[in-house]
Amino acid sequence: MIGTPHPKTSAATPPRHEERVRVLSVLVEDGSNTLSKISGLIRRRGFHVRSISVGPSPQPGRSRMTLTVDAGHAESDQVRKQLERLVEVIEVEDVTGEDVHSRELVVAKVKASQVGGLVDLGAKVLNTASDGTTVEFSGEGKDVGDFIDELMRHGVVDVARSGPVVLRRTA
Amino acid sequence: MILEALEREGVEYIFGYPGGANLPIYQHLPEHPRLKHILVRHEQGAAHMADGYARACGKPGVVFATSGPGALNLVTGLCTAYMDSVPMIAITGQVNSTQVGRDAFQESDVIGATSSVTKHSYLVTSIDQLPRVIHEAFHIATTGRPGPVLIDICKDVQQANAERVTPDRLEIPGYQPNGHVNLEHAHEAARALAGAERPVILAGHGVLLSHAERELFKFAEKAAAPVGTTLLGIGAFPVNHPLSLHMTGFMGTGWNLKAVQNADVLMMVGMRVDDRVTARLADFAPNVKTFIHVDIDGSEMGKNVRPHIELVADARNALEAMTPHVGEVDAGRGQWLAQIDAWREEHPLKYTHSNGHLQPQDVLIDMYRRCRSEAIVVADVGQNQIWTALWWNYDRPGTFINSGGAGTMGFALPAAIGAKFGRPDKAVWCVAGEGGFVMTAQELSVAVEHNLDIKIVILNNFSLGMVRQFQDDFYGGVRSQVDMTHIPDFVKLADAYGLPGIRVDSLEQVGAAMDAAEKTKGPFLIDFRIDPEANVYPIVPLGKSLNDFWEAPDK
Repeated sequence: MIGTPHPKTSAATPPRHEERVRVLSVLVEDGSNTLSKISGLIRRRGFHVRSISVGPSPQPGRSRMTLTVDAGHAESDQVRKQLERLVEVIEVEDVTGEDVHSRELVVAKVKASQVGGLVDLGAKVLNTASDGTTVEFSGEGKDVGDFIDELMRHGVVDVARSGPVVLRRTA
Repeated sequence: MILEALEREGVEYIFGYPGGANLPIYQHLPEHPRLKHILVRHEQGAAHMADGYARACGKPGVVFATSGPGALNLVTGLCTAYMDSVPMIAITGQVNSTQVGRDAFQESDVIGATSSVTKHSYLVTSIDQLPRVIHEAFHIATTGRPGPVLIDICKDVQQANAERVTPDRLEIPGYQPNGHVNLEHAHEAARALAGAERPVILAGHGVLLSHAERELFKFAEKAAAPVGTTLLGIGAFPVNHPLSLHMTGFMGTGWNLKAVQNADVLMMVGMRVDDRVTARLADFAPNVKTFIHVDIDGSEMGKNVRPHIELVADARNALEAMTPHVGEVDAGRGQWLAQIDAWREEHPLKYTHSNGHLQPQDVLIDMYRRCRSEAIVVADVGQNQIWTALWWNYDRPGTFINSGGAGTMGFALPAAIGAKFGRPDKAVWCVAGEGGFVMTAQELSVAVEHNLDIKIVILNNFSLGMVRQFQDDFYGGVRSQVDMTHIPDFVKLADAYGLPGIRVDSLEQVGAAMDAAEKTKGPFLIDFRIDPEANVYPIVPLGKSLNDFWEAPDK
């Protein structure tokens, strides 16, 4: 931390929007209070959750969370540091801008019965009915964006998205 | 089982209040005479007593409360301890595990209500968890950056029997109190400070919590660097020392603020650098080229001020690591220290004492002459707090106890009671305004019941003085809801609670009243009727920079 020019305070020079958003991979203890502790901390510190996904990790009694958090007016590194203070949190990895596999799942129902445009992008048809077609898609950020644009052209009835889950490419 | 575990953790005092959901614990309390239970009059009082106890003797304070309102009454006290990093264990009763979530009588989500004001918390729904949880709780509360830990125990668990299992080791993978220590830059930090033209060290509560005052003294003398303290850092460096800058912050001394605002290297040790220290953040220490921050909690780095050099470690380890690297002190140091002396002459602490009213500073100066450094002074919050912080030559740790971060009115009396239990060998003085005092005055019963030798000094101006001062100066001069004209006659109140009290209206009466207080073994109350217009100075107007401090007007 030596020798680099520092803004003296975070308040004096608010970080740009894209710098404020961090993608964190968080290993946590399973427990009735874990999720509320994490979400409570994020609220209390003035951060904002963009997306959150939780699932079991290979280690028993522990879950892996992928959090996308806007640090608000704080230094973006505060999100990681504050999470690390929680006893329920075992490990926090800030993977923002890192070389990761990032995937988000989208399940959508559209009015159209012809969904070739969606299938061309990689979507799979789950169900076809008289009132519409249900498809699933998974991909990384930009692909999901393209898919959502294409979805709009098919008359969206409803969409469910998982938020991204990430894994480093190299261990 | 709970009580045995507490004995094993070395607990001596418990401050508590029984109720429906912790009756099983209380049923077995008489079987454990080594655990001395202090029955409080309100649960908030229990939390502040445990807090004062912990701050005075260093051991974690222990609190019992029942479910629902009992536990929720602890919240302010937990927050007070959390903000000031005080080790505490709160054990609350919860409804039966089978009733949780059914809105049972006196059920409340205590974990949810206290999560943001505790270092950690546990809901115990099975007896198997209990030994591990209690052992972990004490470990977490007392290590690293200390703090309160709450254990919410369902009533059926309190009644359950199990074989006594002492956990032989702790496994808390998410808790590494010293896991992030980084002293890599100790050498650079020491050299940056010693080689600076205009260095300043600010010391916070972390110096006291890690017992680093000797190391701070050595380091400061070797580097010939002036030292100021935060409000909670009071006692970390002797106020009478030539290098002392006394208290910093928006009600700090003029020479301290001048030094901070002109410093080129600022080392902040064991402190959070909060808004009361920085005033307007953008103008804080504007001439500093190198900020050095030392704290055990890595999340403090850059939370408010981004340091150029950071040392994540407890203050003692960090200062020990830095001292050998101090090396040669900058040749211009004599000039800088002479400049600070000049500021000290130019901006002394002063107060009005010619308008015929009793001045609060007169009371405190008389107290100081009697106690010197032998007493523990517990101050409340408001004007009384800043007067007590500034008008006393604190020269060692453990002499000043106060709610700094949370600023909890009503803290002083119960905290003084707790401090006396923690340090029965020390004289304990409680200083409060009339506003804060009436918030927790019911705890006088505890002082009388245990014949605690504490002296209660009420600086009574019949007004919420700090709020009044702010309204006068920063809110258009509109005095709104600050008159405390309807408060009890404190001498009669003392009599009703069963302790002696005296009222003092003038400077001439101060000495005799203090004599009477000192001669009395047991609690004693003095109602000092002070100048209703007395103000705190210096003060930085709200929203302004530290440069803009106002001094006491000359009269």
